[in-house]
Amino acid sequence: MRQFRMLAVGATLLAVVITACTSGDGSPSSQPSPSSEPLPTVIVGSANFTESAVVGEIYAQALEAAGFTVERHLYFGTRETSQPALESGQLTLMPEYIGALAVALGGEASSDAQATHDTLQALLDAKDLTAFNFTPGADSDGFAVRSETADQYDLATLSDVAEVADQLTWGLPPECSERPLCGPGLLEVYGIDISAVPVENLNACSAAMAEALDAGAIDVARVCTTQPQIAQFNFVLLADDQGLNPAQNMVPVVTSALAEAGGATLADTLNAVSATLTTDALTVLQLEVDVNLQDLEAVAHQWLVDQGLL
Amino acid sequence: MEFIGEVAAWFGDPAHWAGRDGIPVRLLEHVELSGAALLAGLLIAVPIGLVIGHTGRGALVAISIANIGRALPSVGVLGMVLPLTLRAGWGLGLVPTLIALTVLAIPPVVSNLHTGLREVDRDLVEAGRGMGMSGPQLLWRVELPIALPVALAGVRTAAVQVIATATIGAILSTGGLGRYIIDGIAAQNQPKMVAGALLVMLLALASEGLFAGLQRLARPPGLRASDARVPAASAA
Repeated sequence: MRQFRMLAVGATLLAVVITACTSGDGSPSSQPSPSSEPLPTVIVGSANFTESAVVGEIYAQALEAAGFTVERHLYFGTRETSQPALESGQLTLMPEYIGALAVALGGEASSDAQATHDTLQALLDAKDLTAFNFTPGADSDGFAVRSETADQYDLATLSDVAEVADQLTWGLPPECSERPLCGPGLLEVYGIDISAVPVENLNACSAAMAEALDAGAIDVARVCTTQPQIAQFNFVLLADDQGLNPAQNMVPVVTSALAEAGGATLADTLNAVSATLTTDALTVLQLEVDVNLQDLEAVAHQWLVDQGLL
Repeated sequence: MEFIGEVAAWFGDPAHWAGRDGIPVRLLEHVELSGAALLAGLLIAVPIGLVIGHTGRGALVAISIANIGRALPSVGVLGMVLPLTLRAGWGLGLVPTLIALTVLAIPPVVSNLHTGLREVDRDLVEAGRGMGMSGPQLLWRVELPIALPVALAGVRTAAVQVIATATIGAILSTGGLGRYIIDGIAAQNQPKMVAGALLVMLLALASEGLFAGLQRLARPPGLRASDARVPAASAA
């Protein structure tokens, strides 16, 4: 068994090396001009959770395929450790979240992703960092229902669910009533009064919340929009149509030195990858790693192959 | 000092004494939850303890199995049974919490009952047998009355553990005093959290007092040094 696993790992590595070598000269995407210097080394980090790590690995493999040398420091830590490392150049690429990073750097985030990205870039300029294109997918706070409930009440958005809020049992974290973007926000933006609807207290984004929703103990669950159980149980994510939550699209943040040295090849490679990362994609990638217990590198590799990027 | 004042202010707020989330309701929920779990634990543990204590057989196996309950973290039990009870349609937190607490209540009751029964003076048992008592008669009239204080000490331990641990039910939307602790942590409301912990502590101490009293009452009159009366119960 162990021998087999070693073989499998070896084969995967070999495949990665071969792909990296072959697509270095045969890829249809834009190439560095033949006279240019060799491509720089990229030091890829990630936050200490699966979503960030798998996205970091996808960027890493795509960059290797484009001819970069990549050093990996996945699961590097929380933003408190990764951000100083990025600013000092110990890391040169971090998968980040536009809203959360903008707020962490002292800015403000809105539900408008482009505006939030602009705010973020202005803050990053002062630190010699560059944010490339953000992903279409976002890992923000959200609400999900069972697909039967969505069909029964014709629910697609939070505005829809506001109409029938008191007929449904809500799974909310205990702190919801005190968080501006949870209880007070729901009341102000959608007219949903959480003190007037049936509520069960469960931790947001927890597996217990998802289990309870699936089993019908609750009907609306406070989730993270890319939580793997959404794909596992085929839940329907309700759109935040009135823009309560700040945009949390993912974005590769790199040092300006790397952005300069990597040129168009770096930009094109990262932007091509980011364009494939929808909310569904981020959910499924985590499902593969966390629930189906697939190997992170293999999941990242398969994703790039499926998207025609490898 | 300032913090103690905040906790006192929390207790002083009339809003915290009324309604669904008021102290009387949460206290009652906690007592009901702990009481039900303790009762369920006794229903399982007492027959086992009686059999292994009276016969002296199967003690190692039974106590070893019961002790798994001590080794299993209650939060783990909660997580393990939740998917099953959800599938069965038994609601959210109540049944898993009851199961986790019952598992916790069993070991001290089984082992104390067994110890109490085994420690009964063999001469007394032989005397009873000489009087023509059957096995069950020996158990009920000789062994159990003498073993009762030690057995009750087990129940006392179980009760304190159950009362303290019943707070974890709040993770899965169960009521009780754990709500103040879990909600206080979630909202970073420290006076509320500490008030909840204090209430749990007071309830645990009250239960200690109750069982200490029961233990004293349960000491067989014939074994009290200060009391030379013949036990009335043995007259039948």
